[in-house]
Amino acid sequence: MSPGRYIQLVDEMARMELRADASRYLLGYVWWILEPALYVTVFYVVFKIVLNSGRGDFLVFLICGKFAFIWFSKSVTQASNSIIANKGLIAKLDTPKSLFPMVIVQQSTYKQAAVFVLLFVMLVLFGYEVSWNWLWVIPLMVTNYLLILACSFIGACLVCLIRDFKMVISLAMIFLLFVSGIFWDVRALEDPAIANAILIFNPLAFLLDAYRQVLMYHSSPDIGHLFALMVGSALLVWVLVAVMRKANSLLALKALTS
Amino acid sequence: MKSLDSQCVLELDAVSLNYRSGRASFDGGIHRVLNSVSFKLYEGETLGIIGRNGVGKTTLLRLMAGIIEPTCGVVRRKPGKTASLLTIALGFRPDLSGRDNALLSAMLQGCTKSEARLYLEDIKEFSELGDSFEEPVKTYSSGMRSRLGFTTALLTRVDILLIDEVLSVGDARFREKAQSAMKERVMGDQTVVYVSHSDVQVKSLCNRAIWIKDAKICAEGSPEEVVGDYNAHLKE
Repeated sequence: MSPGRYIQLVDEMARMELRADASRYLLGYVWWILEPALYVTVFYVVFKIVLNSGRGDFLVFLICGKFAFIWFSKSVTQASNSIIANKGLIAKLDTPKSLFPMVIVQQSTYKQAAVFVLLFVMLVLFGYEVSWNWLWVIPLMVTNYLLILACSFIGACLVCLIRDFKMVISLAMIFLLFVSGIFWDVRALEDPAIANAILIFNPLAFLLDAYRQVLMYHSSPDIGHLFALMVGSALLVWVLVAVMRKANSLLALKALTS
Repeated sequence: MKSLDSQCVLELDAVSLNYRSGRASFDGGIHRVLNSVSFKLYEGETLGIIGRNGVGKTTLLRLMAGIIEPTCGVVRRKPGKTASLLTIALGFRPDLSGRDNALLSAMLQGCTKSEARLYLEDIKEFSELGDSFEEPVKTYSSGMRSRLGFTTALLTRVDILLIDEVLSVGDARFREKAQSAMKERVMGDQTVVYVSHSDVQVKSLCNRAIWIKDAKICAEGSPEEVVGDYNAHLKE
Protein backbone atom coordinates (compact mmCIF):
# COMPACT_ATOMS: atom_id res chain seq x y z
CA MET A 1 0.00 0.00 0.00
CA SER A 2 1.43 3.37 -0.98
CA PRO A 3 2.10 5.87 1.84
CA GLY A 4 -0.47 8.29 0.41
CA ARG A 5 -3.24 5.70 0.39
CA TYR A 6 -2.21 4.46 3.82
CA ILE A 7 -2.50 7.96 5.29
CA GLN A 8 -5.84 8.54 3.56
CA LEU A 9 -7.14 5.28 4.98
CA VAL A 10 -5.90 6.00 8.51
CA ASP A 11 -7.51 9.43 8.45
CA GLU A 12 -10.81 8.10 7.09
CA MET A 13 -10.98 5.23 9.56
CA ALA A 14 -10.12 7.45 12.51
CA ARG A 15 -12.81 9.98 11.60
CA MET A 16 -15.44 7.30 11.05
CA GLU A 17 -14.57 5.75 14.37
CA LEU A 18 -14.87 9.12 16.13
CA ARG A 19 -18.26 9.74 14.56
CA ALA A 20 -19.49 6.29 15.59
CA ASP A 21 -18.06 6.79 19.06
CA ALA A 22 -19.87 10.10 19.49
CA SER A 23 -23.17 8.62 18.36
CA ARG A 24 -22.89 5.91 20.98
CA TYR A 25 -23.19 8.34 23.90
CA LEU A 26 -25.88 10.77 24.88
CA LEU A 27 -23.36 13.55 25.36
CA GLY A 28 -21.50 12.66 22.14
CA TYR A 29 -18.59 14.97 21.35
CA VAL A 30 -18.86 16.69 24.75
CA TRP A 31 -17.03 13.67 26.18
CA TRP A 32 -13.86 14.69 24.33
CA ILE A 33 -13.51 17.54 26.83
CA LEU A 34 -15.57 16.19 29.68
CA GLU A 35 -13.60 12.99 30.19
CA PRO A 36 -10.19 14.60 30.77
CA ALA A 37 -11.86 17.34 32.82
CA LEU A 38 -13.44 14.73 35.08
CA TYR A 39 -10.12 12.92 35.47
CA VAL A 40 -8.55 16.16 36.63
CA THR A 41 -11.46 16.79 38.99
CA VAL A 42 -11.02 13.38 40.61
CA PHE A 43 -7.31 13.97 41.17
CA TYR A 44 -7.95 17.48 42.44
CA VAL A 45 -10.52 16.31 44.97
CA VAL A 46 -8.25 13.55 46.27
CA PHE A 47 -4.95 15.40 46.44
CA LYS A 48 -5.94 18.99 47.08
CA ILE A 49 -9.15 18.75 49.06
CA VAL A 50 -8.92 15.40 50.87
CA LEU A 51 -5.16 15.10 51.37
CA ASN A 52 -4.57 18.87 51.32
CA SER A 53 -1.24 18.32 49.63
CA GLY A 54 0.23 20.19 46.73
CA ARG A 55 0.96 23.73 45.87
CA GLY A 56 -1.00 26.89 45.26
CA ASP A 57 -1.11 26.44 41.51
CA PHE A 58 -1.93 22.74 41.84
CA LEU A 59 -4.90 22.78 39.46
CA VAL A 60 -2.94 24.19 36.52
CA PHE A 61 0.03 22.00 37.42
CA LEU A 62 -2.24 18.97 37.38
CA ILE A 63 -3.92 19.88 34.09
CA CYS A 64 -0.60 20.32 32.28
CA GLY A 65 0.49 16.84 33.31
CA LYS A 66 -2.75 14.92 33.30
CA PHE A 67 -4.02 15.96 29.87
CA ALA A 68 -0.87 14.79 28.13
CA PHE A 69 -0.79 11.62 30.20
CA ILE A 70 -4.36 10.67 29.24
CA TRP A 71 -3.44 11.08 25.58
CA PHE A 72 -0.63 8.58 26.10
CA SER A 73 -2.35 6.04 28.33
CA LYS A 74 -5.67 5.88 26.49
CA SER A 75 -4.00 5.55 23.09
CA VAL A 76 -1.53 2.88 24.12
CA THR A 77 -4.09 0.83 26.07
CA GLN A 78 -6.61 0.88 23.25
CA ALA A 79 -4.04 0.40 20.50
CA SER A 80 -2.61 -2.66 22.26
CA ASN A 81 -5.91 -4.37 21.70
CA SER A 82 -6.43 -3.07 18.22
CA ILE A 83 -5.03 -5.90 16.09
CA ILE A 84 -7.12 -8.51 17.88
CA ALA A 85 -10.17 -6.27 17.85
CA ASN A 86 -9.96 -6.17 14.06
CA LYS A 87 -9.86 -9.92 13.62
CA GLY A 88 -12.87 -9.68 11.32
CA LEU A 89 -11.10 -7.46 8.80
CA ILE A 90 -7.84 -9.34 9.14
CA ALA A 91 -9.60 -12.61 8.29
CA LYS A 92 -10.88 -11.08 5.10
CA LEU A 93 -8.14 -8.91 3.68
CA ASP A 94 -4.40 -8.77 3.59
CA THR A 95 -4.02 -5.46 5.41
CA PRO A 96 -0.89 -3.90 6.91
CA LYS A 97 -1.27 -4.66 10.61
CA SER A 98 0.27 -1.36 11.68
CA LEU A 99 -2.90 0.23 10.33
CA PHE A 100 -4.98 -0.71 13.36
CA PRO A 101 -2.86 0.78 16.17
CA MET A 102 -2.20 3.73 13.86
CA VAL A 103 -5.93 4.44 13.54
CA ILE A 104 -6.38 4.39 17.32
CA VAL A 105 -3.51 6.83 17.83
CA GLN A 106 -4.86 9.10 15.11
CA GLN A 107 -8.28 9.02 16.66
CA SER A 108 -7.05 10.05 20.08
CA THR A 109 -4.82 12.69 18.52
CA TYR A 110 -7.83 14.37 16.93
CA LYS A 111 -9.51 14.34 20.33
CA GLN A 112 -6.37 15.65 21.94
CA ALA A 113 -6.46 18.72 19.71
CA ALA A 114 -9.67 19.75 21.50
CA VAL A 115 -8.13 18.94 24.87
CA PHE A 116 -5.13 21.17 24.15
CA VAL A 117 -7.48 24.02 23.30
CA LEU A 118 -9.12 23.51 26.70
CA LEU A 119 -5.66 23.54 28.28
CA PHE A 120 -4.81 26.91 26.73
CA VAL A 121 -8.19 28.36 27.71
CA MET A 122 -7.60 27.24 31.31
CA LEU A 123 -4.12 28.76 31.33
CA VAL A 124 -5.45 32.10 30.14
CA LEU A 125 -8.34 31.97 32.62
CA PHE A 126 -5.88 31.38 35.45
CA GLY A 127 -3.97 34.49 34.44
CA TYR A 128 -1.02 32.97 32.60
CA GLU A 129 0.28 35.32 29.97
CA VAL A 130 0.17 34.17 26.34
CA SER A 131 3.72 34.15 25.04
CA TRP A 132 5.81 33.09 22.06
CA ASN A 133 7.48 30.65 24.40
CA TRP A 134 4.33 28.56 24.22
CA LEU A 135 5.30 27.61 20.66
CA TRP A 136 7.64 25.09 22.28
CA VAL A 137 4.59 22.89 22.77
CA ILE A 138 4.71 22.07 19.04
CA PRO A 139 7.94 20.02 19.16
CA LEU A 140 6.75 18.64 22.50
CA MET A 141 3.50 17.41 20.95
CA VAL A 142 5.32 15.91 17.98
CA THR A 143 7.63 14.02 20.31
CA ASN A 144 4.71 13.01 22.47
CA TYR A 145 2.89 11.71 19.38
CA LEU A 146 5.89 9.70 18.16
CA LEU A 147 6.38 8.20 21.62
CA ILE A 148 2.71 7.18 21.75
CA LEU A 149 2.97 5.64 18.30
CA ALA A 150 6.06 3.61 19.17
CA CYS A 151 4.54 2.32 22.41
CA SER A 152 1.24 1.55 20.64
CA PHE A 153 2.96 -0.52 17.96
CA ILE A 154 4.91 -2.46 20.58
CA GLY A 155 1.79 -3.03 22.67
CA ALA A 156 -0.31 -4.13 19.70
CA CYS A 157 2.31 -6.68 18.57
CA LEU A 158 2.89 -8.08 22.05
CA VAL A 159 -0.82 -8.54 22.79
CA CYS A 160 -1.38 -10.07 19.37
CA LEU A 161 1.43 -12.60 19.88
CA ILE A 162 0.67 -13.37 23.53
CA ARG A 163 -2.67 -12.25 24.96
CA ASP A 164 -1.30 -12.21 28.51
CA PHE A 165 0.51 -8.95 27.77
CA LYS A 166 -2.84 -7.19 28.02
CA MET A 167 -2.68 -7.59 31.80
CA VAL A 168 0.91 -6.37 31.91
CA ILE A 169 0.09 -3.28 29.86
CA SER A 170 -2.75 -2.12 32.08
CA LEU A 171 -0.49 -2.57 35.10
CA ALA A 172 2.28 -0.66 33.33
CA MET A 173 -0.13 2.25 32.79
CA ILE A 174 -0.87 2.42 36.50
CA PHE A 175 2.84 2.33 37.23
CA LEU A 176 3.44 5.16 34.76
CA LEU A 177 0.59 7.13 36.31
CA PHE A 178 2.49 7.10 39.59
CA VAL A 179 6.06 7.60 38.38
CA SER A 180 5.56 10.27 35.73
CA GLY A 181 5.06 13.18 38.09
CA ILE A 182 1.45 13.92 37.31
CA PHE A 183 0.31 15.00 40.76
CA TRP A 184 3.79 15.60 42.18
CA ASP A 185 6.74 17.56 40.90
CA VAL A 186 9.81 15.65 39.76
CA ARG A 187 11.93 18.72 40.42
CA ALA A 188 10.77 18.88 44.04
CA LEU A 189 12.15 15.43 44.90
CA GLU A 190 14.67 15.51 47.73
CA ASP A 191 17.24 13.29 46.06
CA PRO A 192 18.39 14.93 42.79
CA ALA A 193 19.84 11.60 41.64
CA ILE A 194 16.38 10.01 41.71
CA ALA A 195 14.82 13.03 39.98
CA ASN A 196 17.45 12.79 37.26
CA ALA A 197 16.96 9.06 36.86
CA ILE A 198 13.21 9.51 36.46
CA LEU A 199 13.63 12.22 33.84
CA ILE A 200 16.11 10.09 31.89
CA PHE A 201 14.48 6.68 32.09
CA ASN A 202 10.86 7.75 31.94
CA PRO A 203 10.39 9.76 28.75
CA LEU A 204 6.85 10.53 29.80
CA ALA A 205 8.02 12.22 33.02
CA PHE A 206 10.43 14.31 30.94
CA LEU A 207 7.65 15.35 28.55
CA LEU A 208 5.16 16.26 31.27
CA ASP A 209 7.80 18.31 33.04
CA ALA A 210 8.72 19.99 29.76
CA TYR A 211 5.09 20.98 29.11
CA ARG A 212 5.05 22.68 32.52
CA GLN A 213 8.38 24.41 31.97
CA VAL A 214 7.07 25.84 28.72
CA LEU A 215 3.51 26.70 29.69
CA MET A 216 3.79 27.69 33.35
CA TYR A 217 7.32 28.98 33.79
CA HIS A 218 8.05 30.50 30.39
CA SER A 219 11.30 28.62 30.09
CA SER A 220 12.46 26.31 27.32
CA PRO A 221 12.73 22.55 27.71
CA ASP A 222 16.07 20.72 27.74
CA ILE A 223 16.58 20.96 23.99
CA GLY A 224 19.19 18.22 23.65
CA HIS A 225 17.09 15.80 25.64
CA LEU A 226 13.95 16.66 23.66
CA PHE A 227 15.73 16.28 20.34
CA ALA A 228 17.20 12.90 21.34
CA LEU A 229 13.78 11.71 22.46
CA MET A 230 12.15 12.89 19.25
CA VAL A 231 14.71 11.26 16.96
CA GLY A 232 14.80 8.11 19.08
CA SER A 233 11.02 7.73 18.97
CA ALA A 234 10.89 8.41 15.24
CA LEU A 235 13.55 5.77 14.59
CA LEU A 236 11.71 3.30 16.77
CA VAL A 237 8.46 3.94 14.86
CA TRP A 238 10.27 3.39 11.58
CA VAL A 239 11.82 0.12 12.76
CA LEU A 240 8.52 -1.11 14.18
CA VAL A 241 6.62 -0.42 10.97
CA ALA A 242 9.26 -2.40 9.07
CA VAL A 243 9.09 -5.27 11.57
CA MET A 244 5.30 -5.34 11.40
CA ARG A 245 5.43 -5.42 7.63
CA LYS A 246 7.84 -8.35 7.78
CA ALA A 247 5.72 -10.19 10.32
CA ASN A 248 2.42 -9.33 8.64
CA SER A 249 1.16 -12.86 8.07
CA LEU A 250 2.47 -14.14 11.39
CA LEU A 251 0.46 -11.42 13.14
CA ALA A 252 -2.59 -12.38 11.05
CA LEU A 253 -2.22 -16.04 11.98
CA LYS A 254 -1.83 -15.19 15.65
CA ALA A 255 -4.78 -12.81 15.62
CA LEU A 256 -6.97 -15.42 13.97
CA THR A 257 -5.94 -18.52 15.84
CA SER A 258 -4.84 -17.87 19.38
CA MET B 1 11.79 -19.29 -7.58
CA LYS B 2 9.86 -21.30 -10.11
CA SER B 3 7.67 -19.16 -12.29
CA LEU B 4 4.07 -19.93 -13.11
CA ASP B 5 3.00 -21.08 -16.54
CA SER B 6 1.16 -18.42 -18.48
CA GLN B 7 -2.43 -19.53 -17.81
CA CYS B 8 -1.89 -20.17 -14.12
CA VAL B 9 -2.71 -17.29 -11.79
CA LEU B 10 -2.14 -19.03 -8.50
CA GLU B 11 -0.39 -22.16 -7.42
CA LEU B 12 -0.17 -23.99 -4.12
CA ASP B 13 2.89 -26.19 -3.96
CA ALA B 14 2.97 -28.77 -1.14
CA VAL B 15 1.37 -26.35 1.27
CA SER B 16 1.01 -27.32 4.91
CA LEU B 17 -0.27 -25.25 7.75
CA ASN B 18 0.13 -25.96 11.43
CA TYR B 19 -0.36 -23.57 14.25
CA ARG B 20 -0.01 -23.54 17.95
CA SER B 21 -3.00 -22.31 19.84
CA GLY B 22 -3.36 -21.40 23.46
CA ARG B 23 -1.92 -23.80 25.98
CA ALA B 24 -0.88 -27.29 25.03
CA SER B 25 -4.09 -29.27 24.98
CA PHE B 26 -3.45 -32.04 22.48
CA ASP B 27 -0.55 -33.00 20.26
CA GLY B 28 1.56 -30.38 22.03
CA GLY B 29 -1.12 -27.79 21.26
CA ILE B 30 -0.41 -27.93 17.53
CA HIS B 31 -3.29 -27.88 15.10
CA ARG B 32 -2.57 -29.46 11.75
CA VAL B 33 -4.95 -27.82 9.33
CA LEU B 34 -3.50 -28.66 5.93
CA ASN B 35 -1.00 -31.30 4.95
CA SER B 36 0.92 -30.97 1.72
CA VAL B 37 -1.84 -29.61 -0.49
CA SER B 38 -0.97 -28.78 -4.11
CA PHE B 39 -3.11 -27.43 -6.92
CA LYS B 40 -3.18 -24.77 -9.57
CA LEU B 41 -5.75 -22.13 -10.35
CA TYR B 42 -6.11 -21.05 -13.96
CA GLU B 43 -7.11 -17.70 -15.41
CA GLY B 44 -10.87 -17.32 -15.82
CA GLU B 45 -11.86 -20.63 -14.26
CA THR B 46 -14.20 -21.24 -11.36
CA LEU B 47 -12.80 -23.75 -8.93
CA GLY B 48 -15.07 -25.28 -6.34
CA ILE B 49 -13.77 -26.56 -3.03
CA ILE B 50 -15.98 -28.89 -1.04
CA GLY B 51 -15.54 -30.65 2.25
CA ARG B 52 -17.14 -30.91 5.64
CA ASN B 53 -16.99 -28.19 8.29
CA GLY B 54 -13.58 -27.70 9.82
CA VAL B 55 -11.43 -29.41 7.19
CA GLY B 56 -9.54 -26.23 6.38
CA LYS B 57 -11.49 -24.78 3.46
CA THR B 58 -11.51 -21.26 4.85
CA THR B 59 -7.86 -21.57 5.79
CA LEU B 60 -7.12 -22.52 2.21
CA LEU B 61 -8.83 -19.34 0.99
CA ARG B 62 -6.86 -17.25 3.48
CA LEU B 63 -3.64 -18.75 2.19
CA MET B 64 -4.66 -17.94 -1.37
CA ALA B 65 -5.54 -14.38 -0.41
CA GLY B 66 -2.09 -13.95 1.13
CA ILE B 67 -3.53 -13.22 4.56
CA ILE B 68 -1.52 -15.98 6.17
CA GLU B 69 1.55 -17.86 5.02
CA PRO B 70 1.95 -21.64 4.98
CA THR B 71 4.12 -23.35 7.59
CA CYS B 72 5.85 -25.13 4.71
CA GLY B 73 5.34 -25.19 0.99
CA VAL B 74 4.83 -22.18 -1.28
CA VAL B 75 1.89 -20.15 -2.52
CA ARG B 76 2.76 -18.53 -5.85
CA ARG B 77 0.61 -15.76 -7.16
CA LYS B 78 1.00 -14.16 -10.57
CA PRO B 79 2.60 -10.76 -10.01
CA GLY B 80 0.11 -7.89 -9.94
CA LYS B 81 -2.95 -10.07 -9.34
CA THR B 82 -5.13 -9.05 -6.44
CA ALA B 83 -7.16 -11.53 -4.49
CA SER B 84 -9.96 -10.82 -2.09
CA LEU B 85 -12.00 -12.94 0.21
CA LEU B 86 -15.75 -12.64 0.18
CA THR B 87 -17.35 -13.90 3.37
CA ILE B 88 -20.64 -13.43 5.16
CA ALA B 89 -20.83 -10.44 7.46
CA LEU B 90 -17.19 -10.49 8.38
CA GLY B 91 -15.23 -7.40 9.13
CA PHE B 92 -18.10 -5.05 9.69
CA ARG B 93 -17.79 -2.36 12.28
CA PRO B 94 -21.18 -2.48 13.98
CA ASP B 95 -21.24 1.18 15.03
CA LEU B 96 -20.61 2.50 11.54
CA SER B 97 -23.31 2.95 8.95
CA GLY B 98 -23.65 0.63 5.97
CA ARG B 99 -22.29 3.43 3.80
CA ASP B 100 -19.17 3.89 5.93
CA ASN B 101 -18.58 0.16 6.06
CA ALA B 102 -18.88 -0.13 2.30
CA LEU B 103 -16.53 2.83 1.80
CA LEU B 104 -14.03 1.28 4.17
CA SER B 105 -14.20 -2.13 2.50
CA ALA B 106 -13.62 -0.61 -0.90
CA MET B 107 -10.71 1.48 0.37
CA LEU B 108 -9.16 -1.50 2.13
CA GLN B 109 -9.39 -3.43 -1.12
CA GLY B 110 -7.30 -0.83 -2.82
CA CYS B 111 -9.58 1.96 -4.01
CA THR B 112 -8.81 5.59 -3.28
CA LYS B 113 -11.51 7.48 -1.43
CA SER B 114 -12.87 9.10 -4.58
CA GLU B 115 -12.97 5.79 -6.45
CA ALA B 116 -14.68 4.15 -3.50
CA ARG B 117 -17.32 6.90 -3.45
CA LEU B 118 -18.26 6.06 -7.01
CA TYR B 119 -19.13 2.52 -5.99
CA LEU B 120 -21.32 3.58 -3.10
CA GLU B 121 -24.51 4.36 -5.00
CA ASP B 122 -24.27 1.08 -6.92
CA ILE B 123 -23.77 -0.77 -3.67
CA LYS B 124 -26.75 0.97 -2.12
CA GLU B 125 -28.93 0.11 -5.08
CA PHE B 126 -27.88 -3.50 -5.55
CA SER B 127 -28.04 -4.36 -1.87
CA GLU B 128 -31.60 -2.94 -1.69
CA LEU B 129 -30.90 -1.56 1.76
CA GLY B 130 -32.63 1.75 1.07
CA ASP B 131 -32.52 4.15 4.01
CA SER B 132 -30.96 1.47 6.20
CA PHE B 133 -27.77 2.09 4.24
CA GLU B 134 -27.25 5.19 6.42
CA GLU B 135 -28.01 3.35 9.68
CA PRO B 136 -25.40 1.63 11.86
CA VAL B 137 -24.77 -1.97 10.83
CA LYS B 138 -25.57 -3.14 14.38
CA THR B 139 -29.24 -2.47 13.61
CA TYR B 140 -29.15 -4.82 10.57
CA SER B 141 -30.61 -8.28 10.43
CA SER B 142 -28.22 -11.04 9.41
CA GLY B 143 -29.79 -11.10 5.96
CA MET B 144 -29.16 -7.38 5.51
CA ARG B 145 -25.57 -7.77 6.64
CA SER B 146 -24.86 -10.48 4.16
CA ARG B 147 -26.50 -8.45 1.40
CA LEU B 148 -24.18 -5.57 2.18
CA GLY B 149 -21.14 -7.82 2.42
CA PHE B 150 -21.91 -9.62 -0.78
CA THR B 151 -22.61 -6.47 -2.75
CA THR B 152 -19.53 -4.64 -1.53
CA ALA B 153 -17.25 -7.47 -2.49
CA LEU B 154 -18.99 -8.10 -5.77
CA LEU B 155 -18.92 -4.54 -7.03
CA THR B 156 -15.33 -3.72 -6.17
CA ARG B 157 -13.18 -5.40 -8.77
CA VAL B 158 -10.50 -7.91 -7.89
CA ASP B 159 -8.60 -10.36 -10.10
CA ILE B 160 -9.20 -13.45 -8.02
CA LEU B 161 -12.42 -13.65 -6.09
CA LEU B 162 -12.35 -16.08 -3.18
CA ILE B 163 -15.86 -16.86 -2.04
CA ASP B 164 -16.68 -18.49 1.26
CA GLU B 165 -20.25 -19.82 1.44
CA VAL B 166 -21.97 -16.53 0.69
CA LEU B 167 -24.70 -17.60 -1.61
CA SER B 168 -26.62 -19.43 1.08
CA VAL B 169 -27.90 -16.24 2.71
CA GLY B 170 -30.46 -13.52 2.35
CA ASP B 171 -34.07 -14.07 1.37
CA ALA B 172 -34.99 -16.16 -1.65
CA ARG B 173 -35.34 -13.20 -4.00
CA PHE B 174 -32.00 -11.65 -3.13
CA ARG B 175 -30.36 -15.05 -3.24
CA GLU B 176 -31.53 -15.47 -6.80
CA LYS B 177 -30.32 -12.02 -7.76
CA ALA B 178 -26.96 -12.68 -6.07
CA GLN B 179 -26.62 -16.00 -7.84
CA SER B 180 -27.28 -14.52 -11.24
CA ALA B 181 -24.87 -11.64 -10.59
CA MET B 182 -22.36 -14.22 -9.44
CA LYS B 183 -22.93 -16.29 -12.57
CA GLU B 184 -22.37 -13.24 -14.73
CA ARG B 185 -19.00 -12.70 -13.10
CA VAL B 186 -18.17 -16.38 -13.29
CA MET B 187 -19.08 -16.65 -16.96
CA GLY B 188 -16.95 -13.60 -17.72
CA ASP B 189 -13.18 -13.58 -17.27
CA GLN B 190 -13.33 -13.48 -13.48
CA THR B 191 -11.22 -16.11 -11.74
CA VAL B 192 -13.15 -17.52 -8.84
CA VAL B 193 -12.52 -19.98 -6.04
CA TYR B 194 -15.75 -21.03 -4.47
CA VAL B 195 -16.01 -22.83 -1.16
CA SER B 196 -19.22 -24.53 -0.23
CA HIS B 197 -20.84 -27.57 1.19
CA SER B 198 -23.78 -27.12 -1.15
CA ASP B 199 -23.21 -29.64 -3.94
CA VAL B 200 -25.87 -28.05 -6.16
CA GLN B 201 -24.07 -24.70 -6.30
CA VAL B 202 -20.69 -26.28 -6.91
CA LYS B 203 -22.16 -28.25 -9.80
CA SER B 204 -23.93 -25.30 -11.35
CA LEU B 205 -21.16 -22.69 -10.96
CA CYS B 206 -17.80 -24.44 -11.17
CA ASN B 207 -15.66 -25.84 -13.98
CA ARG B 208 -13.53 -27.90 -11.67
CA ALA B 209 -13.78 -29.11 -8.11
CA ILE B 210 -11.54 -30.24 -5.29
CA TRP B 211 -12.64 -32.24 -2.26
CA ILE B 212 -10.69 -31.71 0.93
CA LYS B 213 -10.68 -34.39 3.59
CA ASP B 214 -8.38 -34.99 6.55
CA ALA B 215 -6.17 -32.02 5.66
CA LYS B 216 -5.49 -33.38 2.16
CA ILE B 217 -6.95 -33.29 -1.32
CA CYS B 218 -9.13 -36.36 -1.55
CA ALA B 219 -10.38 -35.92 -5.11
CA GLU B 220 -9.91 -33.46 -7.94
CA GLY B 221 -11.69 -33.25 -11.28
CA SER B 222 -14.99 -32.36 -12.89
CA PRO B 223 -17.61 -31.08 -10.44
CA GLU B 224 -20.00 -33.96 -11.21
CA GLU B 225 -17.45 -36.63 -10.36
CA VAL B 226 -16.04 -34.96 -7.29
CA VAL B 227 -19.43 -34.00 -5.88
CA GLY B 228 -20.66 -37.54 -6.61
CA ASP B 229 -17.76 -39.06 -4.67
CA TYR B 230 -18.26 -36.60 -1.85
CA ASN B 231 -21.98 -37.37 -1.57
CA ALA B 232 -21.30 -41.08 -1.67
CA HIS B 233 -18.80 -40.65 1.13
CA LEU B 234 -21.29 -38.66 3.25
CA LYS B 235 -23.84 -41.44 2.97
CA GLU B 236 -21.41 -44.10 4.16
